[in-house]
Amino acid sequence: MAVTPQTVEELTRAEPRRAGWIGAVLDFIRQRPLGAIGGGIILVMVAVAATAGLLAPYNPLENDYAAMLSAPNRDHWLGTDAHGRDVLTRILYGSRTALMVGLGASLIGAVFGALIGVGSAYFGGRVDLVVQRIMDVFFAFPVIILALAVVAILGTGVGNVILAIATPMVPRCARVVRSSALAVREMPYVDAARAAGFGHRRIILRHMLPNVMAPLLIMATAFLGEAILLESSLSFLGLGVQEPTAAWGLMLRGAAVEFAESAPWMAIFPGLAISLAVFGFNLLGDSLRDALDPRLRTQ
Amino acid sequence: MAYYILKRLLAMIPTLLGVAVLIFVLLRIVPGDVVEARYLGQGSQFQSQELMDLERKKLGLDQPLWTQFTTWMAGLARLDFGLSMWTGSPITEEIKLRFALSLQLAIMASIFAQLLAIPLGILAALKQDTWVDYAVRVFSIAGLAMPSFWLGILMILTMLIVFKWVPPMVFTPLWVNPWENLAQLIWPALAVGYRYSAVGTRMMRSAMLEVLREDYIRTARAKGLWLKLILARHALKNAILPVLTVMSLEFAFLLGGLVVTEQVFNLNGLGMLFVEAIARRDYTLTQALVMLVATFFLIVNFVVDIAYAWLDPRIRYR
Repeated sequence: MAVTPQTVEELTRAEPRRAGWIGAVLDFIRQRPLGAIGGGIILVMVAVAATAGLLAPYNPLENDYAAMLSAPNRDHWLGTDAHGRDVLTRILYGSRTALMVGLGASLIGAVFGALIGVGSAYFGGRVDLVVQRIMDVFFAFPVIILALAVVAILGTGVGNVILAIATPMVPRCARVVRSSALAVREMPYVDAARAAGFGHRRIILRHMLPNVMAPLLIMATAFLGEAILLESSLSFLGLGVQEPTAAWGLMLRGAAVEFAESAPWMAIFPGLAISLAVFGFNLLGDSLRDALDPRLRTQ
Repeated sequence: MAYYILKRLLAMIPTLLGVAVLIFVLLRIVPGDVVEARYLGQGSQFQSQELMDLERKKLGLDQPLWTQFTTWMAGLARLDFGLSMWTGSPITEEIKLRFALSLQLAIMASIFAQLLAIPLGILAALKQDTWVDYAVRVFSIAGLAMPSFWLGILMILTMLIVFKWVPPMVFTPLWVNPWENLAQLIWPALAVGYRYSAVGTRMMRSAMLEVLREDYIRTARAKGLWLKLILARHALKNAILPVLTVMSLEFAFLLGGLVVTEQVFNLNGLGMLFVEAIARRDYTLTQALVMLVATFFLIVNFVVDIAYAWLDPRIRYR
């Protein structure tokens, strides 16, 4: 097989690009220590979620009625809950639920938001007007109320909670994406694609969507933290993830409040986990926005 | 200007109509209605079908959807929300009591938030990239990260353990006993307000940073004006606009955010009522609450836009 000049070029380019990528990460850490801390927290969370089965000292669903409501001790580092379940184990497993809901909701919200936003900008005119009015309707609902309404329809459980949280995200994403897509639509390459006779779908997906990825990614990262917070709120209200699944918001519900005085560890630690996770995503999201948004960079 | 105001007001009507259709349809997709929620919810599985049908007829649930919708719309046009399907009492009465509580809570939270956000934001901007700036930013990002219900639990817990005292669980209206009322509502207001202040602090910081780079600030400094005077007269006046915008927009959402906090402090406000209404499949009450929140949000939005144009001549004459 002959080595074409093109592949040689690609091969030689591969190495510096990789170094550049690591260099970019190092630069990011140096220039934005807060963002790096956030990234670190997220990495730890992902690692914990991936290895919860190995890390956790107990089974998250196992009831030890002999050790109900026991204070933190050598066997149960963070104590046990009213069903005798190990709090540390449930927090470790809870990171899976939080990440799953956060990533799921952000992904679904971003995908639909991007399609609606780009489509609305691309077609423009009457389509744009109608889509924008529909989005306005969704904007008139506070986030949690819209999520509650969706849960009321679909029912509770992890899958439905993901959809419920993605719903308020779609119009928010669509609005941001639309405004960037309006600029992209005027680019010469879109005209070129149209002149070449490509279909609407191809122009939207192949030519416009890749060029609005930056604001979309920033939105999605920022929304991840909010999605985790929203999931914990819904679960806390009893309208989110259901027992016996390990979820942080759920751990704060019921017994955690009733026995708060005698067993404060049940109320303190899961809330700490939620705060830390959301804190991490917010720090990273903020720094990413500052680093990637050219408008802010020039200032 | 008058034309603009009128146009904006008229534009609200289709949005509100959309909200009405959306919530009306959403509620009716859900299997089960208020009659089922009431009879089957009590554990007796043997309610006769006739009785349930009779009940539905009384509530108008046997009517075609279109008739139900137009009846509701006709009521709304007369500002009549109708009767709650669960309690049978007028919705206006149901909401009136709770609205006072939630509104007071929201106002207290926003006063607290502004007292915190504006000085902190200015401080962070003046000391940009120092440890003060970092501390303020961490404090405000933490405020966004902490669930307000957890903050509420922690507050109750601290008061229990340290002072052996819990805020009273029965609501006292402000006009009955102001002291007791404040002692009760100050805690949830702090819990909600902290998160709310975080939004304002960040906005204040970035607006201030932007304004401080303006030419007129440099001119003022070159004139040798006292720094405090520059800040008060020149910088703050210009930087505060976006902060007020963000905070007033958040204010409407605050009413939604109260849903969770009211649960922790056992306050019988609008949030609690909303969760109850959904659980009971009380169509009329849920619809009324959603319309109320949406209208409130649109009006706040509208007032902010008008105020903005009024406060900033650059926008007014464009």
